[in-house]
Amino acid sequence: MLKNPRDIIKRPVITERTTDLMEENKFAFEVDLRANKTEIKKAIEDIFGVNVEKVNTLRVPSKKKRVGRHVGRTSEWKKAIVTLTSDSKPLNFFEGA
Amino acid sequence: MAVAVKKWEKTEKNVGVLEFEVGAEQVTEALDQAFKKVVKTVSMPGFRKGKVPRAIFETRYGVEVLYQDALDILLPIAYGQAVREANIIPVDRPEIDVVQFGKGETAVIKATVTVKPEVVLGDYKGLEVEKKDFTVSADQVNEDLANLQKSHAEIVVAGDDVTVDNGDIVFMDFKGFVNGEAFEGGEAENYQLEIGSGLFIPGFEEQLIGVKKGEEKEITVTFPEAYHVKALAGQPAVFQITLHEIKRKQLPALDDEFAKDISEFNSLDELKADIENKLQEKSEQDAKNYVEEAVISKAVENATIEIPQAMIENEIEVLMNDFKQRLQMQGIPFDAYVQFTGASVESLQEEFRGQAESRVRTGLVLEAITAAEGIQASDDEVNAELAKIAESAKMDVERVKSILESRDPQLSNLKNDIQTRKTVELLVSSAK
Repeated sequence: MLKNPRDIIKRPVITERTTDLMEENKFAFEVDLRANKTEIKKAIEDIFGVNVEKVNTLRVPSKKKRVGRHVGRTSEWKKAIVTLTSDSKPLNFFEGA
Repeated sequence: MAVAVKKWEKTEKNVGVLEFEVGAEQVTEALDQAFKKVVKTVSMPGFRKGKVPRAIFETRYGVEVLYQDALDILLPIAYGQAVREANIIPVDRPEIDVVQFGKGETAVIKATVTVKPEVVLGDYKGLEVEKKDFTVSADQVNEDLANLQKSHAEIVVAGDDVTVDNGDIVFMDFKGFVNGEAFEGGEAENYQLEIGSGLFIPGFEEQLIGVKKGEEKEITVTFPEAYHVKALAGQPAVFQITLHEIKRKQLPALDDEFAKDISEFNSLDELKADIENKLQEKSEQDAKNYVEEAVISKAVENATIEIPQAMIENEIEVLMNDFKQRLQMQGIPFDAYVQFTGASVESLQEEFRGQAESRVRTGLVLEAITAAEGIQASDDEVNAELAKIAESAKMDVERVKSILESRDPQLSNLKNDIQTRKTVELLVSSAK
């Protein structure tokens, strides 16, 4: 099991879709492939000091990519969508978390 | 828009610093507009173009990047308002110094402005104008009539006993010899030459004077040193000529017949009266122009103004553009003109400088007099002017008005013209 919460949570996923999700108090992160939902919940609460209601995770599959005649694969990764409880303080990773 | 003028302070005679504040609300609004403009060009991974949210944009690039664009949006409006509020009339683009500007803050801006100079008027009423005589004399009428006569002259073949005189057209054969030998181009038959036209070698035409029709003569001349055929230059030559015919311009007789032929009048007296009338009109116009120019230039002379350089530069620019347009109308591109005459843009600008300065000066003085006298253009006068324009343009008065108003809602240009005219009239009527 990974000990350091900052090893579990790698970076926020910021896209058009996830900015829309923030309206619903949901935040998306790229997390370590091996981390489970409980670990992610703990890590988020630890780092940002917020209350997490639930965590949904999904694996983003690896894809074939080719550069010229070399075929390679992108790495598979895990995305976690964290829902905060309605009474939690807001999560703001724009201010350099 | 909430614009508050803090300070207006003159640092030089015609230059001052205008300090004004723009409310935080307006600043925010300008920033929003700037963002809307900028966001279209920003690309960021995870977002389509133009879809980056404001918050993310600002954390990534900072609000500061929006400042320049926001200022570009805000300044023209705010500056215009500040100028109105401070009640100054700038004559050039201001130099802007942004003292304070930030998101959610009141912006403080300092503008260094060149303003219209104050005109210290000297005497402008009761100016003395040197009298000049513009009455039409009988001589002028006769001169015009003589010109008419000349332009309607007929060319007739002269009789046998006529000798050649200046202004005649002769038909002749000639053959030229240098050192007793004929040379190329020295020969022609039945050649037509107008005496006094100076087309031939100096001395040639003069020696033809007095020759009779059918007569043969030898003419001795010397080719000029600068003659274009090298071999002949400076050489004495002999021409044998045979005169075939003399034609002479015959002036029509000045009588009623003549008047009928060339004009719609039936008698010479009527024609004369018409010429006199036209001359009279012209001389009256001349006299009016002369007096107007004289009083204006006197009034300008008496006034003291320190004209800011910027005004002169702007006027030069106006003159240059006028000049370019005139060239264009003649079908000469400006670049070609510059190349052709070897003049440079700078030298032309220098040339226009004097004119520009006097135009600016005259304009300012007339304006100052108009203001000092409280001259206004009344509605009646404006309407009269509109009617005049309508008549000359063959359009409906209402239409003319709406066209002018679409460009200039207060018709202030038209009013200015009327005021200036009234001012000039005042100057003229009070002049001695």
